[in-house]
Amino acid sequence: MFHKILIANRGEIALRILRACREMGIRTVIAHSTADSDSLPVRLADESVCIGPPEARLSYLNIPSIISAAAITDSEAIHPGYGFLSENPAFAEICRACGITFIGPAPEAIRLMGDKAQAREMAKHAGAPVVPGSEGPLAGVDEAQALADSMGYPVIVKAAAGGGGRGMRIVREREGLARAYATCQAEAGAAFGSSELYLERFVEEARHVEVQVLGDKNGMRLHLGERDCSVQRRHQKLLEESPAPALPPETRAGLHKAALAVANAVNYVSAGTVEFLVDGHGQFYFIEMNTRIQVEHPVTEMITGIDIVREQIRIATGEALGYKQSAVQFTGHAIECRVNAEDSEHFVPSPGRLTAWIAPGGPGVRVDSHMMAGYTVPPHYDSLIAKIIVHGHDRNEAIARMQRALYETVVEGVKTTIPYHLKLLADPAFAAGGSTLARLEQNL
Amino acid sequence: MARRRPARGPGDPARFTIDEVVELAVRHNLAELEVETAGTRIRIVREHAPASHGSRVDGVPAVAAPLQQVDPDSAESTAHLLTVEAPMVGTFYRAPKPDAPPFVTEGDAVKEGQILCIVEAMKLMNEIESKVAGRIVKVVVENGQPVEFGQPLFLMEPLR
Repeated sequence: MFHKILIANRGEIALRILRACREMGIRTVIAHSTADSDSLPVRLADESVCIGPPEARLSYLNIPSIISAAAITDSEAIHPGYGFLSENPAFAEICRACGITFIGPAPEAIRLMGDKAQAREMAKHAGAPVVPGSEGPLAGVDEAQALADSMGYPVIVKAAAGGGGRGMRIVREREGLARAYATCQAEAGAAFGSSELYLERFVEEARHVEVQVLGDKNGMRLHLGERDCSVQRRHQKLLEESPAPALPPETRAGLHKAALAVANAVNYVSAGTVEFLVDGHGQFYFIEMNTRIQVEHPVTEMITGIDIVREQIRIATGEALGYKQSAVQFTGHAIECRVNAEDSEHFVPSPGRLTAWIAPGGPGVRVDSHMMAGYTVPPHYDSLIAKIIVHGHDRNEAIARMQRALYETVVEGVKTTIPYHLKLLADPAFAAGGSTLARLEQNL
Repeated sequence: MARRRPARGPGDPARFTIDEVVELAVRHNLAELEVETAGTRIRIVREHAPASHGSRVDGVPAVAAPLQQVDPDSAESTAHLLTVEAPMVGTFYRAPKPDAPPFVTEGDAVKEGQILCIVEAMKLMNEIESKVAGRIVKVVVENGQPVEFGQPLFLMEPLR
């Protein structure tokens, strides 16, 4: 087992990793920017190293500084968390070259899955259904036009290197395609440094369902069930639950099988998530694989009792998973609400000083948060301030418990998404379960 | 320097007296030692390790020592001094090679653009230049010590 791990992240996920390390008897070093010097993870870590100014480019994305921080503290491994360098294959390669264990998959798997067109090809080859679309990047707008005409509208134009809802456009009729193509190309070039685009059929009435997988270095792979992440606002997830409600049994089983097929095809090691769209008929399509720990991992931990961060660390040392698929038991229902420092009406960030913070508690409630009274939410990073996770015997109990937990939560000084969550939880369409991405976004 | 805390066991934190911490620092010939137990932090900085036993005890919880306290022997105000901070995390070296003389020593006058030290990050030797003309009043960090971003390296008196 590792003696010391460097955490190359901040906020609630840094704290989450730190908690797993402490329970495992591993010392922690947190690499942080000057904006986070007084943060809770820095206070709680065994050691801390300031690696740069607030701008992420010069600190949390600064590879030489992070490697240097690991070297001066004799850290044997780096946990990248999510975002920042977590899906950067060059970073994983540099760690390897420096003799530091990157807690995550091999750089080859990150690189393959990071290229949407390649990942799609690979999934298709592995037998996972994909949305009908272009084979590889498009040569130009003429090819896009011809392909869209043959598949039928609506279609979606996406950046090959895209993510987070940027560099994509839905086109409902022929006339709009050329303009959408040009916009996407410009956006992709500016945001991701690559203007390669691809095109696929847009799945209407879709739900976003993803499957958590784990793989060890011996080739043992298993899934930890699925999560429904259909509650999104501008492609940003706001609420996740597991198991996915109102899913036909054959769809659920098919999703699990397809996710494992994709993971097996890239010899996947560590924790990863295979994302799918599920349409109104229960047909599902592979979208992408995230090669890191995800924000919403706690809902899976709540229903399986498996500590995913701990598993990542164990796997990174070369330990075998030590259990089979049949040993993974699913109990009850879990929901997570992402509390962001945002205005819940207009979803604009609301950085500032937290004058009061009271986290909810009681039976079946878990809070992953780096908040403390007096803390200033810095404007430099994402606006997630807390994840409130509940577990109940069934979905109804989980919903009631989440409503109760949100009522208890006190946040003063910054605006949050809690009013949005309360509205959503009281919405009959949400209570019925199985709502689509579009319906949830329209309703609220 | 990168902040380090001793490992703490659950329930029964080890406790140290100030004398014990001073003795530890002297015995192991450490330039600086910081010990934290539940609610108390003791920080020892030895001014001239190993020659002198001059030590400073600081029980105030602080993330970094304020600059004014860096040179407690000095009677005059240090407010007019400039601090040269580490522009990156890495290992601080005073000389280009282990057996070479240091780039600068206390009392030296330096020109703008003159190399003051090296901070090694990822096997790259980054030469740190002075942004102003001045006189080196104090070298704050020991040769070969790890430094973090923004950590004071030198105190300088500006000359014009």
